[in-house]
Amino acid sequence: MPEELAIRIEDLSIRYKINVDHKRTLKNMVMRASLGESVRTRTVEAVKHLSLDVKHGSVLGIVGANGAGKSTLMRSIAGILPPTEGRIIVNGKVSTLLALGVGFNPALSGRDNIILGGLASGMTRDEIEDKTDEIAAFADLPDGFIDMPVRTYSSGMYGRVAFSVAVSMKPDILLLDEALSAGDASFKEKSFNKMRELCAEARTIIIVSHALATITDLCDTALWLHKGNMLSNGKPDAIVEEYLKFLNVGTLPSNYEDM
Amino acid sequence: MPENPTFAPKIQVFEPHRASLPPLIPYLKEFWSRRAFAIELSRFADKAEYLDSKFGKVWLVLNPLLLAMIYFLLVTVIRGGAAKTQGLTTLAHILIGLFTFYFAQTCISAGAGSITAGGRLILNQAFPRTLLPFSSTISAFFQFLPTIPVYIAVIVIGKFFYPKTQIPGFTWNYLWIPLIIACVGITGFGLSLIFATMNVYFRDTNKLLAYATRIWLYASPVLWLPEMLHGWHRWVLYINPLGPVLATTSNVWIKGHGPTSAELIGMILWALISILAGGYFFISRERDFAVRI
Repeated sequence: MPEELAIRIEDLSIRYKINVDHKRTLKNMVMRASLGESVRTRTVEAVKHLSLDVKHGSVLGIVGANGAGKSTLMRSIAGILPPTEGRIIVNGKVSTLLALGVGFNPALSGRDNIILGGLASGMTRDEIEDKTDEIAAFADLPDGFIDMPVRTYSSGMYGRVAFSVAVSMKPDILLLDEALSAGDASFKEKSFNKMRELCAEARTIIIVSHALATITDLCDTALWLHKGNMLSNGKPDAIVEEYLKFLNVGTLPSNYEDM
Repeated sequence: MPENPTFAPKIQVFEPHRASLPPLIPYLKEFWSRRAFAIELSRFADKAEYLDSKFGKVWLVLNPLLLAMIYFLLVTVIRGGAAKTQGLTTLAHILIGLFTFYFAQTCISAGAGSITAGGRLILNQAFPRTLLPFSSTISAFFQFLPTIPVYIAVIVIGKFFYPKTQIPGFTWNYLWIPLIIACVGITGFGLSLIFATMNVYFRDTNKLLAYATRIWLYASPVLWLPEMLHGWHRWVLYINPLGPVLATTSNVWIKGHGPTSAELIGMILWALISILAGGYFFISRERDFAVRI
């Protein structure tokens, strides 16, 4: 892989099976087997034949309607979901904020949760402990809240801590899925600044957001996913404009027919 | 291009592998490098669980102790009473057997729920998922440890009242104990990997496990002595993953003997089978967990 690339995705497809029935239990399986029924499953084609290169220091925004495969794509880059076909090559330390919250255990304090999150992502305890106060300060936690159980946090506080943890890990590649919706206007400004700072250090960021202004403000390239296909890829303003047209009028770009 | 001050090239390649193992050496390296996470997770999980409980960790010891008393009463009543010295032996056998069995049972039941309980963590971060059941095994070990002094205290008091009992004082055969504990822990961890995987696919596994472990307890040499089985019945002991190790437990703690060679081979084999089978079953499916949580 060329050195300037942070991520290379080669012909990636991701499919997985989901059970149609709500309750996946042994009891139901035995009942069904005794009645001679088979398990009803559906195959979801979340990402279809996607190829993409992301350079170090770039900010990529991903837009798309619900079910477009955005979160699946992010998880596969993080190494959480395996590709069904194709290959993903990632160069650098990845930090993720995919499911909202650092949350392990609401009964534990913010500090304990931060330590666990850091250890899970491969940091040492000393590294994290040095950072917890910085994280608390960045998240604008009121005095003493860092040592209170997470269940006492407001949802805004919760989201801000999660964001602070993700950015403070000094990642080479930062994956954010709808992470910026948590804070208020002033925190949003602060988080934008933090992300610009990370980019200035040649760190790579991928953002999934329904807030299109975030994409146009922060990103230098954008990508539109629709039902697992990459429809277009280019300057954020142009992509957002196309996407908005689709949202308002329901027309897909002309080249979609070829896919 | 600006320079990234902390950049260290770390190439990771993600490729398809379904129902087969990922490259094992990098996997085990990742596991080892994040062992601190498993240890802290077990510490924090215990802290969260006993934060509100007044007796806290005392319950962990009290629970199996009281249960042992109940089983002891049951067993002696069924037998129609026992000679006094025999009574202490029976009590000691049930106590240490139950404590050891509980160690394995806690590994398995806590480990089985660890994946489904770790939902958000699994959706958010990539790390070897075996760390979650491993953390439950660590918790189970630290819950088991304080039961040993309780056992010793009961025996010391018992010997004071019934000095003729067969239960030995110190013997060199106690050196088998670390191996026994290791075998129970490894077997428990291995089996917890199987049930944790099953619990992802069938959410009632953990509930059924509660009944299964009870039956398993009755089928194990805890409430009865291993030497009560004769002839082909002894197979009951060896087809049970905890059979040989519990027989050894009784041999070492109660009689002061070492394990027989059949017991020794049996317990080591079961530990190996459990960890290899459980490891294969779990690791080959763990990347599927994120879509099933």
